[in-house]
Amino acid sequence: MMDRYCIRKCIYSLLLCIGLVAGANAQEFRFTTTVSSNTVMMDEPFQIQFMLENGTNVSSFTPPSFKDFDVLQGPSQMQGQSIFNGRRSEYYALTYTLQPKHVGNFTIAGAQARVNGNMVKSNPVLIEVKKGNTQAMQPSPGPASGYPPHRAQQGGDDLPEGVLKKGEDVTEKLRKNIFLKVDVDKTNLYEGDQITATYKLYTRLPTNSSVTKVPAFKGFSAKDIELPNPPQATEERVNGVPYKVFTIRKTLLFPLQSGALELDPVEVDNQVRLVKVVSNNNKKNRSHDPFEDFFNDPAFKDPFFDDFFNRPEVEYQDVPYKIQSNPIKITVKPLPVDGRPLSFNGAVGKFNMTATVDKTSLSTDEALTLKVVVSGEGNVNLLNSPKIDIPSGFEKYDPKVTDDIEKNSNPLSGSRTFEYVLMPQEAGDHTIPAVEFSFFDPASNGFKTLRSTPFVIHISQGKRIKQDKQDFSVGKNELVKNDTGILTWTKQQSWLIRSPWFYILLLLPLLVVAGIVVYKRRADYKTTNAALLKHRYANKVALKRLELAARYLKDGKDKSFYEETSRAVWGYLSNKLKIPMADLSKQLVQDKLSARQINGSNTNNLFELIDNCEMALYAPAHNNHKMQGTYEQAVNVISNLEDALKN
Amino acid sequence: MRNYRKSTIIFFATGLWVLLVTGFGSRASVPEPQQRFEAANNLYNQSKYTAAAGIYQELITEGYNEPSLYFNAGNASYKAGKTGTAIYNYEKALQLSPDNAAVKHNLAIANQKVSGYVQELPLVFFQQWWQQLQHLHRANGWAIGCLIFFWLLVAGFLLNTYLPGWKNKFLRWGNYALGALFLLYVIMAVDAYLIANDHSAGIVMSSNIRAKAAPDDNSKDTFEVGEGMKVQITDATNDFCKITLADGKSGWIACTNIKRL
Repeated sequence: MMDRYCIRKCIYSLLLCIGLVAGANAQEFRFTTTVSSNTVMMDEPFQIQFMLENGTNVSSFTPPSFKDFDVLQGPSQMQGQSIFNGRRSEYYALTYTLQPKHVGNFTIAGAQARVNGNMVKSNPVLIEVKKGNTQAMQPSPGPASGYPPHRAQQGGDDLPEGVLKKGEDVTEKLRKNIFLKVDVDKTNLYEGDQITATYKLYTRLPTNSSVTKVPAFKGFSAKDIELPNPPQATEERVNGVPYKVFTIRKTLLFPLQSGALELDPVEVDNQVRLVKVVSNNNKKNRSHDPFEDFFNDPAFKDPFFDDFFNRPEVEYQDVPYKIQSNPIKITVKPLPVDGRPLSFNGAVGKFNMTATVDKTSLSTDEALTLKVVVSGEGNVNLLNSPKIDIPSGFEKYDPKVTDDIEKNSNPLSGSRTFEYVLMPQEAGDHTIPAVEFSFFDPASNGFKTLRSTPFVIHISQGKRIKQDKQDFSVGKNELVKNDTGILTWTKQQSWLIRSPWFYILLLLPLLVVAGIVVYKRRADYKTTNAALLKHRYANKVALKRLELAARYLKDGKDKSFYEETSRAVWGYLSNKLKIPMADLSKQLVQDKLSARQINGSNTNNLFELIDNCEMALYAPAHNNHKMQGTYEQAVNVISNLEDALKN
Repeated sequence: MRNYRKSTIIFFATGLWVLLVTGFGSRASVPEPQQRFEAANNLYNQSKYTAAAGIYQELITEGYNEPSLYFNAGNASYKAGKTGTAIYNYEKALQLSPDNAAVKHNLAIANQKVSGYVQELPLVFFQQWWQQLQHLHRANGWAIGCLIFFWLLVAGFLLNTYLPGWKNKFLRWGNYALGALFLLYVIMAVDAYLIANDHSAGIVMSSNIRAKAAPDDNSKDTFEVGEGMKVQITDATNDFCKITLADGKSGWIACTNIKRL
C-alpha cells in the first residue's frame, strides 16, 4: 500500500512542479521518468512513473522492459488537467510498482511515446539495489499488491477498496482507515464570537455510515450549515495518505457564556464492507499469493485488464464499527467590561445599522413604524432589540423581529429587522431620540457604537381620541373628564395653626379676662378692701395720733392736745367699727359696740373719755394734771377696745 | 361696670379685624391662574397632554392647592404616559377631597397600569367618619373655628361670671357646649396639620425597581416595584428608604425613586 501513497506523493509533487513550470512556461512539452527512490533495498518496492506533459495526439506508449525487476503493480494510468496560476496543463502518466530481483546497479531505459507523430523518449534512470532484510516482506509480498488497480482511474482519486488479507487484524485496519475528526477554526475566543466546527468522517474503506449521536453544543448557540444530500465526498490527505472525507456536520457556534466549554463528540456507526480473501483450492500452492499467476498472465500487460472481483476467490464481509470523535475544549473569554457602551446588549461581530421611520407627520389615529435594521457578520441570530427611548407621548409595543440570514454563510451574516410600532397618544412635535446600537468587534478588540439621527415627528390630532386597553366592562377604562370650573385658587402657603397669630389670638381673650380680673380687683379694693385695711390698721393710726397728743401735752398746748386725742378716739372707732366719719355719733357707737357684745367698763371709759375731751375743748381750763390723766385714759381705752374687738 | 363692657367689645372688634386680615387677606382673587388653568384644559382637549401637564404642574408648584388642579394634572400625566406622576396627583387630589368619585375612578384606571398593584384595604367605618369629619373644613378652617369658639367661650364665661343679669344656667350650658366645640376644633386642627405633614406614604416614580433586603446596593433582591405603586415609608437612611406595600411586603429602595405624598 505504501507505494501507492508514494506514487501519489510523486504525482502531486510533480503536479506542483508542473504548475510552477507552467506558470513560467505554458504548454511546454515534457516527457520524464521519475522514481520514488534511486536507492532501494532488495525487497523494497518502488515506483516508477512516466509522465507526459502537454503532449497532444499521443498515439502510442511503450514502457521499457523491466527485466531485472518484478512488476508488482501497474501500469496505473493517470490522465488529467491541472490549472495552476491560470495556466492550464494536461498530463498523462503511467506508474508501475517494481520490486528488484537482484542486487546491483540497473538502468531503466526511458519509455517511448509517439506524440504528434514524433517519437519521444523519456530520460533513463539509474537504480541502485542494495541487499536488505528479506524476512519482513516474505509472507506477504508487498502490502499494496493485494489489490488490483481500479479500472476507471480519474485524476488519481482512486481509493483502495477494503481488502482484508489473511492474518490482518480487522480492528487495526479499521482504526487506521476510518476515523472522525473535528475541525474548529479557533479554540480561544470572546463570548458571542463565532467559531466554525466541522465534524468529518475520514475513510478509506467502503462503508455505510450513520450518525447515532449528534453533539448538543451545550453553552453555545448553534447554527448548522446545510450540507449536500446525499453527502459528497472530498478527498483529503492525512500524513500523505488520501482519505475520502464526508462532512457530517458543519456548525457555526456562538458561545453564550464565558469559561471553558467543550464540544461534545459525535458518534458514527459504520458498516464497513471488507473484502476477504479466501483460500483458493485451484491453486497449487496454498501459501502462494493468489495473484502471482495473475500477474504473470499475459493479460497483465494490458493496462485495462479484467476486474479482479470477477474472480471467485473473494467474499464480502460487513463489519460493524463504531467510532467517536474527540471532545474539543474551547476557551471562551468574557467580553471586556471597560469601555462597554450602555447600549451594548450582546452583539459581537461587524455590523451596520439603519433606522428609519415610515412617516414623519401623522395624526393620533395612525400608527408610526420605526424600523431598525442591523446587518453584518456576527451573531445576527442572537441580536437583541436595541433599546429605544420612546418619548412619553407614544405607546410602544414590543418590536416585530424579522431575520434575513444568508443561507450557509460563513461567518454568519445577514440582517435582523426590528419594527417598533408606535401609537402616538398626544398631538404636537415629538422627537424620537437617536437609535443607538453597540457591538463588540473581535477583530479590533473593542466596542463600536452606531447611532442614527433623531427623528422629529409631527403629530396632529386625529378625529377620535384613541381608546385605552379595553376591560370589557362599560366605561371602566374611560377617564373621567377634566374639571373645568372656576377654582377658588387658594394657596396652602401657611398653616394658621403654626403662625404666631393663632396663638396671639388665643391668648388675647385670656389677656382680656386677666384685664377684667385686675380691674375688678381694683374696684373691690376701693369698696371692701380699703375698709378692711383701715380696720386692721386702726389701732396703729390711733396710737400715732396719741403720740402726737403726747407731744402737745409736753408743750402745754391744751387745745391741740384734746383735739388730737378726740380725733384719735373717733378715728379709731370709725375705722374699727366701719362707720363713716360723717355718721359717727355716741348712739351709733354704742349700738355697734353692743351689737358686738362690748359693754361695761370699756364702753363707760370710752364715753367718759369722749365727754372729758369735749368738756376740755368747750371749757378750757389749764390743768396739766388732768391732761396727763386724759392721755393715759385714752391709751387704756384704745388698747382695751382693741383687745375686745379682736375677739 | 359699663367701662368693662365697653372694653370687651373693643377687644372683640380688634380680634375680628385681625381674623379678617390673616384669614382672608390671602384670598385676594387673581384671575391669572384661572386663565392658565383654562389654557391647560384647552391643551388637554387638543391631546397635548405633556404641555397641559406642565402647566398644571407649574400651578401646583406655585402653591395652589385645589383638588381639581391635582385631578386634571393626574389626567394629563396619565394620558402622557407618566403613570407615576398621574397616581401621585390623584392621591394628592384624594387627600384634599377623599370622597371625590371621579378621582377615585381615574385613580383605579391608572392603577391598572401599575405592575404588581396591590389594592389597599378600605377604611373601617369610624375611620371613614373621622375622615369625613376631617374634611368638613379646610385645615385652616379648623384653626379659625378654634379661635372663634375660644373667643365665644371666653365671652360667655365673662358674661356668666361678672354680669349679674346674665347669670343663668342656659348660658352656663352654652359655655360648656362652646368648650366642647373648642376642644374638638383644636383636635381637628392639630390632626389636619399632622395628616397634611405626614409624608410617610409615597409613590414610586420609576419603573422596574428591585427592592433590596437591606439598605445596600449589594444586598439581595426581594421583589420588584412598578412605577406608580403606593408605598408606606417606614424607615429611611440617607439613600435608602424602607418601603412597605399594601400586602405587607417590605424592602429597601433608593429614596430618589419615591415621591412622598
